[in-house]
Parts: sequence; C-alpha cells; structure tokens
Amino acid sequence: MTLRAALLLLLTLVSTAFPASGQQPGVTDKEILIGSSNSFSGPLAFTGEQITKFGVDLYFKVINDAGGIHGRTIRTIYYDDGYRPQDAVANTKKLVEQDRIFAVIIPQGSPPVVATLDYLEENKVPLLFPYQSSPVTRSKRYVFQGMTLSDRSSKMMIDYLAGPRKLKKFAALYQDDEYGKSFLTAFEKDLGRFGLKLVAAESVKRGVTDVSAQIAKLQAAKPQVTFLVLVPGPAAQALRERQKIGWTGTLMVSTGPLTDERYLALAGDAAEGVEGLSLWPDPLLSDLAGVRLYREHMQKHFPKNEPNRYSIAGYFAGMLFAEGAKRAGRNLTRDSLVAALESIKGYESGILPPLTIGADHETQKQGFWVRVEKGRFKPLTDWLKSE
Amino acid sequence: MTTAALVHVVVSGLATGSIYALMAISLVIIYNATRTLNFAQGEILMVSTFVGWTAMQVLRAPLVVVLIVAVAAAAGLGWALERLVIRHAISATHFDVLIITLGLSLMLRSAAGLVWTHDEFPFPSLFGNRPLAIGPVRLAPVSLGIIGASLALMLALYALFRWTRMGRAMRAVAQNQRAARLMGISVERVYSGSWVLAAVVGAVAGVLIAPVVFLSSKMGLVAINGFTAAVLGGFGSMPGAVVGGMLLGVLENLAPLYLPSSIKHSVPFLVMITILLVRPSGLLGRVARRKV
Amino acid sequence: MRRAALATGAVVVLGLPWAVPRYFVFLASLIVVNSIVAIGLNLLSGYTNQLSFGHAGFLAIGAYTGALLTIHAPALPVPAALLVAGLVTAAVGLALGIPCLRLEGLYLAMATLAFGFVVVEAILNLDWITRGNDGLRVPAARLGPIALATDTARYYLTVAVAALLILAALNIARTRTGRALLAVRESEIAAQASGVHLAAYKTLAFVLSAFYTGVAGGLFALVVGFLSPDSFDVFLSVDFVAMIIVGGLGSVPGSVLGAAVITTLNDSLAGFQNYRPLIFGAILIASMLFMPGGIASALRKLSVAGAAGYPGTAPPAAKPRQGDDP
Repeated sequence: MTLRAALLLLLTLVSTAFPASGQQPGVTDKEILIGSSNSFSGPLAFTGEQITKFGVDLYFKVINDAGGIHGRTIRTIYYDDGYRPQDAVANTKKLVEQDRIFAVIIPQGSPPVVATLDYLEENKVPLLFPYQSSPVTRSKRYVFQGMTLSDRSSKMMIDYLAGPRKLKKFAALYQDDEYGKSFLTAFEKDLGRFGLKLVAAESVKRGVTDVSAQIAKLQAAKPQVTFLVLVPGPAAQALRERQKIGWTGTLMVSTGPLTDERYLALAGDAAEGVEGLSLWPDPLLSDLAGVRLYREHMQKHFPKNEPNRYSIAGYFAGMLFAEGAKRAGRNLTRDSLVAALESIKGYESGILPPLTIGADHETQKQGFWVRVEKGRFKPLTDWLKSE
Repeated sequence: MTTAALVHVVVSGLATGSIYALMAISLVIIYNATRTLNFAQGEILMVSTFVGWTAMQVLRAPLVVVLIVAVAAAAGLGWALERLVIRHAISATHFDVLIITLGLSLMLRSAAGLVWTHDEFPFPSLFGNRPLAIGPVRLAPVSLGIIGASLALMLALYALFRWTRMGRAMRAVAQNQRAARLMGISVERVYSGSWVLAAVVGAVAGVLIAPVVFLSSKMGLVAINGFTAAVLGGFGSMPGAVVGGMLLGVLENLAPLYLPSSIKHSVPFLVMITILLVRPSGLLGRVARRKV
Repeated sequence: MRRAALATGAVVVLGLPWAVPRYFVFLASLIVVNSIVAIGLNLLSGYTNQLSFGHAGFLAIGAYTGALLTIHAPALPVPAALLVAGLVTAAVGLALGIPCLRLEGLYLAMATLAFGFVVVEAILNLDWITRGNDGLRVPAARLGPIALATDTARYYLTVAVAALLILAALNIARTRTGRALLAVRESEIAAQASGVHLAAYKTLAFVLSAFYTGVAGGLFALVVGFLSPDSFDVFLSVDFVAMIIVGGLGSVPGSVLGAAVITTLNDSLAGFQNYRPLIFGAILIASMLFMPGGIASALRKLSVAGAAGYPGTAPPAAKPRQGDDP
C-alpha cells in the first residue's frame, strides 16, 4: 500500500515538474512571466490582493490590451504565503525553479521578503519593488526597493516637525514588529540630530483589542507629537481612544504606510486634525494626469473596486516594470532589465514626481505633509526631500 | 499614572473582558453539551456580524434591526453547521471533530473574505464614543454600554438555564448524557440547541465589539481570548467564564500600564500558567473525577 | 511484503533528489522536518491522549538554538548542533512538563498555547542574540569538509536524522519504557496500580516530544535558512495538531503521512490564493468525515495485514464521541 502510494507520488512529482526550456527564464517570444509570494490570507490579506490583482495586474491589462511590450504580453502568477516567512521561501523557490519566472514583483511584508532576499540575490533574480519599509533591501544588485524606506520617511517627518514646525516633545505608538521597530530606530536617530529623543514609546501587538493602557501612558508623558506607526485598524482604535479620554494636547501623526483613506473611514470624526506623511497623491480626488488615468483604468476593468493607495502602489510597480522592460528592448534578460531600470532618469509617471533611479536602487524617496480636514487629507506642503 | 486614568483603563478592560466572557460562554455551551471545542466559534460571530451589517447597507436599517438580523443569521448558521456537518461525523472522536471545526473556521474566514473582502469596515454603535466626565474620571459610554449589555445577556442566559425546559435539558446533558437520554431528553435536540444558542451569544458579542475593533474577516480571532478566558475560569463553568473573561480583559490592560515593554505582552500568559498550576481546573472549575 | 515495501520506500526516498526538480527536494525536506515534529507531538498526544497547542514554541527553541550554534560555532559538526538543539528543547520541555503534570485536557492545551506565545515574546525580547523582529539569517552548515549549501545536501541530512528518529519511535514500544508508556495510554489509573510511576512517565513523554521537536527545529533552521518570530505563530501549532489527527493519533506512519499530506496541501494550494484556506478547510472536513481516526486508521481498515499496523503502536480505540467523558 505505501509502496504503491509512494510510487504514485513520485510519478506525479516527476510528471508535473519539467521546467520550460529557453535561455532566459520567464521570457518567450510572446510572453514575459513574473510573479511573487504574497498575502492572500493572514493579517495583510486585503493589502496583498489590492497591490497584486487590482494594482500590478490592472496596469498589465492596459499594457497587454495595447499589444504588450516589444510584442510580448505580461503574465503574472501569485502564491499565498499568509505572511509566514517559511511559506514565502517555499513559494519563491517554486516560482523561480518551477514556474521559472523572470522576476519577482511586489512581494509584501518584511519577514517574508527578508526570508527570500539572499536566495534571490544568489540566483540573480530581480526583486522588484517589495512592499515593505525596512532598509535591509537597500543597495543590492538585483533589488529595486518600492515603498519609501522607514529611515527616509522618518527623516522627512522629523526634519519637517522639528524644523519649520519647531516641535520638541515626541512620542510613538508602534506595532511590535519589523515595521514598527525600523521606524522607532530611525526616529531616535533623526531626533538625535536635533538633540531630542522620544519621551515615550509604547508598543501594541498586531490584532490588539484595546489600546487604552498604551494611550494612557503616552498621555502621561505629555508629548506634543505622537507618531502612529501602525496599520489602519489599531491606528483608528488609537484615535478613538484619544477621543474617549478627551486628550487634545497632542498632535497625532501617521507614518507613510499608514496615511490612507481606509484608516480615516474607520476613525470617523476622531481623525479630524490628524496629520501625516503622505506617500501618494489622493487616489480618489487627485487631478494629476497619472492618477486620473489610474482611476479610469480601475473603472474600466474593476468597477466595483474602489481606488486606494494599495492598488495604486501596485499599479505604479507595474508601470515601472513596463518602463524597464521597454528600455531593455527586445533582448530582455535579467541583467538588461537591471541596466534599463538603472538608466531611468527624470521619468514622468504622472503620479509621483519625476523619478531617477540611483545606485541605491530606491524608486520612492519622497512624501508630502497632509492634515485631515472634514474627513479628507489636505496637503500642507509640496513634496519633501529625504536625501 | 493618575487614579482617573487607571479607572478608565480598568473599565475599558472590563468592556473587552465582557466580550471575552461572552465568547467563553458560547464555547462552554457547546462543550458542555457535546464535549467538543468549537474552533469555528469566532468565525460564526464574524459572519453573522457581517450579515447584519449587509442588511444595514442594503436596507438602511437601524441598529436594532442589524442586531436582529445578525442573531437570526447566527442561529441559522449554528443550526446548519451542527445539522449538516458535525452530526455526520458519527464515528468520529472528539479530536476528529476538533479538526472538523478547524476546517469550518478556515472555510468561513476565507468565504467571508471572498464575499466582503478582507478589508476592515467601520461599524455603528448604540453607544457614544465621547467621554462622560464623572469628577476627574472620564468614562466612555461605549465601554459602559458593552459591559451593561453583556451583563444583561448573561442574566438572560442564567434565566434560560434555570427556568426553561431547554435550559434544564442542556444542564442535564452536561451532567450525564446517558442518564439524560434515559430520562427522555432528546440529546440530538440539545446538540442543535447548544450550537444555535452559542452562535446567538456570539452574534450579540460581535455586534457589541465590531464598533471597537471594526468589522473584518479577522475579528473572529477574539475566540482565542474567549478560549483562554473559559479555561482560566474553569472550562464548563458559566460563572467561571465570566470571571475568566473579566480577569483576562483587565490583566491585558494593566500589564502594559505598569510593566516594562519587554515583558508586558508575556505577563498575561505567565499569570494564566501560574493560575492553572495553583488551580489545575481553573478558578471556578470542578476537579475532574477520575474513572478507570 | 512489508520488507519489500520498506526497501522500495527507501529507494524512493533516497533517489528522490535525482528524479525530481530541485524545488521538490526543498518541499520534501519540509515534509521530513514536519514529520519529525508530528512524531514528537504524537509521542505526547498518542501516549497521554492530550493535545499541545504549543509545539511551534518548541520548534522555535530548537530552530534558534541550531541557528545560533551554526552562526557562532561554525566548527561544530551539524549532528552535534542538532543534538544540542534537541537537548536544549528537551530541557525546556522538562521545565514545562513537570508543572504541567497537574493539568489535563483543555487546561494542558491552554498552558501549552500560552507557552507558545511566551516563547515568541522571549525571541522578540532577546533581540541582542536572536535579532528579534529583524529575523535571523542562517548560513549553510558544515558537515566536516562538506558544506550543506544545496537543497539536496540538506534533504539527505533531514532524511538521515528522520530515519534515526523514526526507528527510535517505532522501537520505543519494545522497551520497558515503551511498555510503561503504552500502559499509561490505555489507562492511567490501571498503569499506576501496576506499579508504573505515572508522573515520571508522563514527564518523559513531554521531554521526548520536546526533544524530537527541537531536533526538527534545528533542521528547520537549516532548510528554510531564515527565522523570524512570525515563523512560529499559534497557527503553526494548530497545523501540527492537524497533522497528527489527520494522520492518525498514536501512529508513527500516521504521523509521517499526516505531515506529508498537510505540508503538500499547504504548498500546492498556494496558487489558489484567497481560495486556499477555503479549499484546505474543506479537505480537512472531508477527511475527518470519511476517515474518522485519520489516515492510519483508514489504511488499517483497508488491509488487515496493512503496513500501518506496527506492533504496539496501534492508536487507542476511537472513543465514541457521545459519551460522558471529555
């Protein structure tokens, strides 16, 4: 019995496992295949689905409808890792060795991304625009960072608040994971440049049910500014908790990854007056040509899916990949793609300011300041610099 | 830390604790009747709250109707799951049924994501969020409301177990199934009844907590805290579930208040282990009799 | 018949890296690692009829111990590092097992669940050595002159270790200790009356279980190459419980089959994206409805002289659910 079962298993393994031939993995005469391991279940399932299916794929639909890139259409393949690092490793190996993808695009979350970093670099597979903010991805040969890294976000936030705004007492409420910790480290470093430090820092767990104790402790430290390094749910809870105790003496400031419309919707009137660093123009209302086009494409292909900052991030990632592949020409290889992306200077996306990719391989380095007025983010500054 | 702030944090913990207690009670109801731990309890809560919310979106119904719809949905779901899935596991062991309920919880959470997405949604509350000032102490109506509504539901459950036919049948089955059957009680009906009742308690808890933690496919994870509360109080005991829930809610809030961040998240668990070591059957649990 | 099956099985297992693409070698290593955990968990659950929801915690301790030894003592041969990983985890198992002697059923489940959370918190807070949230990258270990840098090398290592541990688990039943454990499983009170030192043997089951899981953790670190507190959440513990129940409580072959089925399913369903938990859940339900008692029990029913029926390792008779006992 076990013998038959084992042989059967072995046969199926062998039969399903012949790799496609061809010199450059993932590139045929007619097609480019890219993909990633992402969260379709687990704590970041919503984000994962938005950046991939409603973001990257949305832009590729547009490109493919227009005939593809140098005669090749782009196809994507995604596997669910549920935010578990070991599953991300398994999925990424399967993508590279089994499906033979050309490049990895927009995988999500620090632990899953970091778990696959060395493997991809060793195998010279481009890791494009990972959706995470830990600086560990900076300046690697085959990695092009997507989301603005935490140390850059922190620099923009502190330079603005401690500079022109002349604020002095800062505290932070952060998520007890890599996202929260990397911001906390960066805050301490940047405040140090002004001779300041955090007067209080309180952590919350993912999926927390009550933040009253943390808010009470922060209130006792009397900060002028309280940074929220959280995801939408707990951040909205923190704002409502502040309303519950009538704490008005602090300015709550959201980090770049947090500043989005969903968290405003959850917090309701408790969000009035909150400020933050915005990494994207308003996906619903912005008049920028690229954002309008994004909304038109969303309306055309996914009319039921409301525009949001996750899907626009994926859409932008798709756009950058397409630009790189276009520049690499018909002879698309992993190295020619890397060279092509490195050659991008002053690229106009119509969404973000003109983009130049330097030796650090970062594609997003800017943000602007916003304040919540009547339930919307109102810009207070032009694009801030993090160089 | 001022006393006023302390009072607020404790009351807030009691509110969360009430929800844990309701989750614990619903787990205990099913356990007492069928001796199975229901992994899907949290997901039943989540799905029924979503159904109530959908009624609100579609019909623009007031919150009372939302509650009624959620309770009805929970009753239907609880009945259907017991009748259509669990009861078919005739020769299965308790452990097998545990895996079946695990499968149900995965399916319900995934299905909810497919229907409503894995996004989070704001949920209206019967109670306000702005503080009531009583001297220097500030209390949120939403916390007081959750505590009050939960206590009312607990009293109703007490009455149900004490004075109704179904309640007495449930208690009899919990004590001795064979004897209950011999006394003419339909054990199958008690099974169905417990699943329905547990689901309904969960739905009320869901409508109460959704304005605080927001409506999402993840909200069913609160069942883990419910399980903790039930064990802490003594699994099988209703008053134990209430005490366990409240204790857990307050403990989770007091730990971050007084302890350094390096140990604050571990302390509730360490306290639980310690309590169990001192009282191996929970705070109010009966000491198990041993049979050869 | 059985000898032939075993021989063929050995050929299949050893020849696998040459017959299948590289990716499946990695997946097979994961299956083997999970099998060791499942056997370990089954040593506890199968003999004492109690579930642990904290084995991800034991796995984490073994994994971090193994990884830190590989990083800081690269001269140490891999088997020694794995042995230390197992022993450290066993020591923690002893420390947890003795106080937990008083706990039964759901109370033990709760204590182990809490233990799992505490381990993750400890990893986060010992960040000067574990690197906390940043995660720990594990370099290739060395076995004498050979660097275990390929998936194939690591696969053979896991298979060799697993073979030893499986043999030990199968033969436990033939020793005095094993017979005492079996007696405990059949009836604690009867065993005690026959002179079995109940507390000692229950603690032993705990320690053995932790040792197996710790060794598996050391292998896990080498195979996956990256550790993070997010790798060891409570859902992983639940997966392990699912492995032994789907495989068959108290059965060594059942543990291996359960681990293989759950790991393969988990992997092959990843492409279904947001439908993955839906399908996975449906398969769990169906398997329990149609194979109560797990795969091992179903196989036993299929063939009376079936390969699953090793002497002394038959699981306890499935207790009817509609009884009074929890």
